[in-house]
Amino acid sequence: MTAAQEAPVETPKRQPSMKGTFKRHKLLTYVVLLAFTVLYVGPLLMLVMTSFKSLPEFFRNPTGLPESFGLSNFTEAWELAKFPSYLWNSFFYTAVATAICVVTSVLVAFPIARGYFKGANLVLTMYIVALFLPPALIPQFQLILNLGLFNTRTGFILLFLVNPIGIIILVNYIKSVPRELDESAAVDGCGYYRFVLTIITPLIRPAIATVTVLHAIGIWNELVLPTIYLTNDDLYPVTRGLIAFEGLYGSNWPQLAAAVLMLMLPMLVLFLFLQRYIISGLTAGAVKG
Amino acid sequence: MRIVDRNYLFARGWKSAAPILFFVPGFFLYLFIAVGPSLATAVYSFTDATGIRGIAINWIGFENYDEFLFRGAASRDNIAALTRTLYFSFFVTTIQFGLGLLLAVLLKRRLRGTAIFRTIFFMPVILGVAIQGLIWKLFLLPSRGPAAQVFEWFGSSSEFLGGQPRQAFIWVIVVQIWANVGITMVIFLAGMQTIPEELYEAARIDGANGWQLFTQVTWPLLTPAVNTNFLLNIIGSLQAWQLFLVLIGYRPGTQVLGYLVFAEGFGQTSGSVTSAFRQGYAAAASIALFMLVLIIALSANFIVTQREKKYMP
Repeated sequence: MTAAQEAPVETPKRQPSMKGTFKRHKLLTYVVLLAFTVLYVGPLLMLVMTSFKSLPEFFRNPTGLPESFGLSNFTEAWELAKFPSYLWNSFFYTAVATAICVVTSVLVAFPIARGYFKGANLVLTMYIVALFLPPALIPQFQLILNLGLFNTRTGFILLFLVNPIGIIILVNYIKSVPRELDESAAVDGCGYYRFVLTIITPLIRPAIATVTVLHAIGIWNELVLPTIYLTNDDLYPVTRGLIAFEGLYGSNWPQLAAAVLMLMLPMLVLFLFLQRYIISGLTAGAVKG
Repeated sequence: MRIVDRNYLFARGWKSAAPILFFVPGFFLYLFIAVGPSLATAVYSFTDATGIRGIAINWIGFENYDEFLFRGAASRDNIAALTRTLYFSFFVTTIQFGLGLLLAVLLKRRLRGTAIFRTIFFMPVILGVAIQGLIWKLFLLPSRGPAAQVFEWFGSSSEFLGGQPRQAFIWVIVVQIWANVGITMVIFLAGMQTIPEELYEAARIDGANGWQLFTQVTWPLLTPAVNTNFLLNIIGSLQAWQLFLVLIGYRPGTQVLGYLVFAEGFGQTSGSVTSAFRQGYAAAASIALFMLVLIIALSANFIVTQREKKYMP
């Protein structure tokens, strides 16, 4: 059959054949997506199944389904390490540092966005430049050490009080709030602090939520700084605690898996609820050019 | 001298200092714990600072740099680590960029279930390195784990993270991409949302096929997201080293520069931080890494600007 012979019949057939291609594309899309899903769900599934096995069972049958779904690994792991303390520490560091960071950031971002003091643009540039400077790791350590805050909660929290990306997100968002609002509030005799707190803050809630979530996740997941600054395991956050637990009981994978699972659960649940803010935070400014 | 700008409308007199007063704490913190220490890294790189309180710090000029780059076996290891950092960055950047784009294109089709897929692929990003690392350590358990099983089906075997340095290194690249491709993907997806649907319709009416739609519409209009991902991936992967810490620890033949800074400055094993560590030397290594990032990021930025000129005149 030649192309010339086929040409006249092709026009009426075009519609169904396109549908056919579409269906094939759709199938292919699902196949690729499912293949990736296996790579993402597989390791998690292994974690879950391992956490329900006894150690001998794990050695006998590391990859299969567990024989029963007892919780003994979870309770044992829970008792072996100070997990309630790790969770509390993580929560405490994250909450305190994020609160201070967000409040101070809003108060920094608002006058910058409005140009309420001279050199506001220069200050904004300084925050942007900060993103490209060398890591502060070594001098920060010397600073904390010389302040006598090594291995203390205060010193550790101090490390997480600044977020230049957060300032940039807030400044951009505040710029979208009409300036006339400031003018009419000022005319009505509203004070500066009250204005920022009761009028601006509710208006920029999406940006605040984004910065809060982004900053909090960063602190919760940080591993290197607790490794450097905290030597007392009463002060360990979850990440450091997990690695310490691995160091001690790493050969007992079922227990370790149970510990990992327990400690990642709060984050996973939060993620499902806050996904929108997390993603908007990570993509903020990325697509505007 | 007035610091407060003329367009400031709230109270006059001393009360007009309010914006400055509330601005100061945040800005002070920024200078004190972010920018100040950041810049001081350069200063420390010329000293013999240790991690111990009370020991005098001496000015030693370029000694640290000289030692880092030119002296003995250690310098050869450092250069090797530098090269390895470039390899790591190259593979992570290209693969993560490609896979992120592929996933975004597939998810953009708005088929049933794409929201769930997006959640799944993004999930590791929020778990953090400690959990990412431990999950994969279990998955890659030599001879027993699921990955080993798959290798066995194909009549092959691997020691994974415990194998030859090169092998372990490759697996860290795999995990690094697995953990972060979600960010690349969502940035591409956000970029795709800004492309008007009419353009696709117009192109379809003109008879464009799927591939043409991608090359003629999606790719050029995706320029901002492409550039962001390109730069973020390069800079991120040059500085990434934490998965090495969790997955394989400080093993000769696998370190990248970032890990080297940590190991020299704070000791190779965690927990024993206060013993004598070479923070001046580590600061020099950290400046070396910074220069590397700077040079590569600037070149990448040049390419990106050229691209923007081409697509968005």
